[in-house]
Amino acid sequence: MLLLDRKLLRDLRALKSQALAVALVMACGLAMMIMTRSLILSLETTRDTYYREHRFAEVFARLKRAPNSVRDQLAAIPGVATVQTGIALQVTLDVPGLDLPAVGLLNSVPEHGAPVLNQVYLRSGRLPVGRTTRHELAVGEAFADVHGLRPGDTISAVLNGTQQTFHLSGVALSPEFVFEAPPGSALPDNKTYGVFWMPYKELATAFQLYGAFNNVALTLAPDASEGAVIAAVDRLLAPYGGRGAFGRANHPSHRRVDDEIRVLQGLSIAFPLVFLSVAAFMTNSVMSRQITLQREQIAMLKACGFSNAQVGAHYFKFSLAIVVAGTGLGSLGGIVLGHQLVGMYHLFFRFPRLDFLLDTRVLVAATLISALAAFAGVAGAVRRAVRLPPAEAMRPEAPARYRPALVERLGAARWFSPSFRMSLRNIERRPVRSALTCLALALATAILIVPNSFRDGIAYVIDFQWDIVQRQTVTLSLVEPGPARALDDFRHLPGVVLAQPFRYVPVELRAGPVSRRILLQGLPARGTLSRVIDARPQQLALPERGIIISAKLAEILRVRPGDEIIAKVLEGEERELAVPVAGLAEDFAGMAAYMEWHALNRLLLEGDRISGAHAMVAASQWGEFLRAVKNTPRLAGCVVKTSVREGFRQTTAESIGLLQKIYTLFATIVAFGIIYNSARISLSERARELATLRVLGFTRGEVGAVLVGELVLLTLVALPLGLLLGSGLAAGIITTVNTETVRLPLVLTPANYALAVLTVALASALSAWFAARKLADIDLVSALKALD
Amino acid sequence: MPSVANPLPEPADARAPVFRVRGLARVYGEGTAAVTALRGVDFDLFRSELVVLLGASGSGKSTLLNQLGGLDSPTHGTLHYRDWALGTASEPELTQFRRHSVGFVFQAYNLIPSLTARENVALITEICREPMDAEEALRLVGLGERLDHFPAQLSGGEQQRVAIARAIAKRPAVLLCDEPTGALDVHTGITVLEAIERINRELGTLTVIITHNAILADMADRVFTLSDGRIISERRNARRGAVGELAW
Repeated sequence: MLLLDRKLLRDLRALKSQALAVALVMACGLAMMIMTRSLILSLETTRDTYYREHRFAEVFARLKRAPNSVRDQLAAIPGVATVQTGIALQVTLDVPGLDLPAVGLLNSVPEHGAPVLNQVYLRSGRLPVGRTTRHELAVGEAFADVHGLRPGDTISAVLNGTQQTFHLSGVALSPEFVFEAPPGSALPDNKTYGVFWMPYKELATAFQLYGAFNNVALTLAPDASEGAVIAAVDRLLAPYGGRGAFGRANHPSHRRVDDEIRVLQGLSIAFPLVFLSVAAFMTNSVMSRQITLQREQIAMLKACGFSNAQVGAHYFKFSLAIVVAGTGLGSLGGIVLGHQLVGMYHLFFRFPRLDFLLDTRVLVAATLISALAAFAGVAGAVRRAVRLPPAEAMRPEAPARYRPALVERLGAARWFSPSFRMSLRNIERRPVRSALTCLALALATAILIVPNSFRDGIAYVIDFQWDIVQRQTVTLSLVEPGPARALDDFRHLPGVVLAQPFRYVPVELRAGPVSRRILLQGLPARGTLSRVIDARPQQLALPERGIIISAKLAEILRVRPGDEIIAKVLEGEERELAVPVAGLAEDFAGMAAYMEWHALNRLLLEGDRISGAHAMVAASQWGEFLRAVKNTPRLAGCVVKTSVREGFRQTTAESIGLLQKIYTLFATIVAFGIIYNSARISLSERARELATLRVLGFTRGEVGAVLVGELVLLTLVALPLGLLLGSGLAAGIITTVNTETVRLPLVLTPANYALAVLTVALASALSAWFAARKLADIDLVSALKALD
Repeated sequence: MPSVANPLPEPADARAPVFRVRGLARVYGEGTAAVTALRGVDFDLFRSELVVLLGASGSGKSTLLNQLGGLDSPTHGTLHYRDWALGTASEPELTQFRRHSVGFVFQAYNLIPSLTARENVALITEICREPMDAEEALRLVGLGERLDHFPAQLSGGEQQRVAIARAIAKRPAVLLCDEPTGALDVHTGITVLEAIERINRELGTLTVIITHNAILADMADRVFTLSDGRIISERRNARRGAVGELAW
């Protein structure tokens, strides 16, 4: 080993706690970068492999009913490569051990042979096919997991009015249902919504659909135009009650996975950069101090004939050691956290397997970035050191020049104690360093704001969605839209205090070139159960004429209240109408459009028909109500509000809880690292001054106060700045989460601010205390010695 | 023993020694690495005296000054400040002793660079009882005009006089000066010594100057010469020579 390297090792040992503080901050940034980029890689790779191996379709269409002969016509559409038709229907389930009725989406599987598209992956058991398979179902894994269902268990379903018991033949997954959630839902509700597969013949027969289909999946030939194929499919299926074909980008499960990847992409850049910049600044301050302390050693080395390059390399190696430690810790942290988060994604997304894949390219890039950041941090200090002529470097640095601080010059001096003035003047003498310390602390505060604002945003969404918008106890939906007198049947169910109708119609809303397909909801003008709420949040009365749409939908369609949009009805007879936008509704999952119920029925040229009803049920008759619902054949579903709300709360609490812990830990490390490092550097720079104060009779506590006074001032400035930065950062990141499927409101509470301030203040106090403990090691006698 | 909260008591007898030192020894390190800096020093120092401790580098004079100033504790022997056993005092007691009873003047001045002359003095007057006004202390050392200058704006002599003002502003019983002119030219050194001498004369502060410069011996009441950790001679001057008359 070269002697200079031995010196390096000993210097590192002497500076180990400071070097560790820098390495830890760097590690936080790298861990976050590696974690998020690897998660993106894991999700993308797993998704693409799954889609390819299980032949996920590219275009999808639902319709009322078409004879199987139409299938050949679909296959003949130019640009279509493969066609698969089948049946998909929602039914009410009676799950053993669940007192609520659940909703099952039954998908047909071909009688013989495997499906050509959207192939099922069997986790256990087998598919319900073959001659002997009557009354058998395969169940989706998410639903099976929640209810502990295994092959051989039984489940009851109401098929077209007849309750039947089925044996479960197997547990399965499908690329169509990676996100196994009810249509339009942002989060899974695996307790009351499940996906099932049963033989085509049995399902078709039960619903009088034998020889027909209501569900289409297609793949496209190379170079085919998706838009042209969709248009052709729509034209072909229109007479059969086509509800509009859509591409993969609009497939609910696919879009949800895509949105998640987009959110991760947003997080994978901003946060790590914050940490790495702070680490670069810290490396710079540690190295500058080290080089100042070693002025004479540098002079000696140069006087003995070491070249500038050798001396420079020596100090670069010092920061390289920090980078190596930071990269090691960061990679380890990123891999461990990534594994944990992959486990969390299993709550949302169902893949045959989702393994953590380390993005090695990002590992290399992250190492290079942090090495560059560290070197950039050191370069200035090293350049100053090697430029110094040896003779000059042998002499101690000239005494520091000070002047009264700005606030003193403005006349506030008389209120300040000498030790307070020392702090003020020290801050002002090193404006860049003070500003960067302040900024780093502000960033630590800011980082804490973000995860808590997510949590508060979700709490707001929960309250908004299930206290303000939805006030019903249950939502009951019919298999097919029915006459309004069905409402009376609902009202006569035991315990129903109030029931209000709704009518759902699939429509395409278009403004200029932009269009979206959604469910248009017809509701009573001033309903008291399911309400339309604006951003204030106040209830919007549904007008006689016009449509109210989600603010997000208005943004996408680029329309404002008063503008007209084209509504194309995608059910029954195809109709197109221009309707004025009457107002904008607030919502946070998916997109919606609302019309007054009668107005909607008039638009559809129907009498008063309903798709179902929202109902308020008396708690005292809850059991009776559920029994009655389970035995009502025409019901396609019964969604219990509290169950959905609880499911949402639990899943988000788990995912946000984990992210929140990670971010809190990282921000605490930054706050601790910054303050500890600043205090240690200050201690080193001012050792003589502080020792003098001790000699002059200052107690250790008083000298400690002088040492940390500067940091206290910087922290006090940093905290409000951090709250401001954090609010901006939260707003910025929430914008990246602002997708068509999920949105979060920006909620910043005093409790969030208080917690961030408290955490940083505590981390600062603790690290200052650790540094101040070093005061005990100051040699008082050395202060008496001359400097020469 | 004085409590930390109370100032050290004035002796009943004004002629009683301020310091009583008996068999004072200080050994650094242990075993074969042990270095003996003081090997049994005995003396008494009295109020109003100006004492010079002369010695070459390594003679033990700085170690002795550190013991008197409460910066270090002896290995053997006794050290009393008035009736109080300074040699066995605890760390907080030593801090209080330095805070209220001792003024230090260092060769390198040790001013706080971020504070002006006035503030360097005020820093001390804020923490001790019945201090003199910072401006008054600075006037006593002839610096009434440069109150608001920072150390970097002052000459070496001026900086040292600020250090003296800082040391005396607490009205200490003892003023300990470690090579106060070591970093100064002759002319500036004289100004500084005059300031020290004036303080000693006008305030009656026991003043101990350690130096390797034998010329300073003439301005003292008593001169102790140290060598190899022992006092090898003690001399009492019949008359203190005026600083300006010292033969440089």
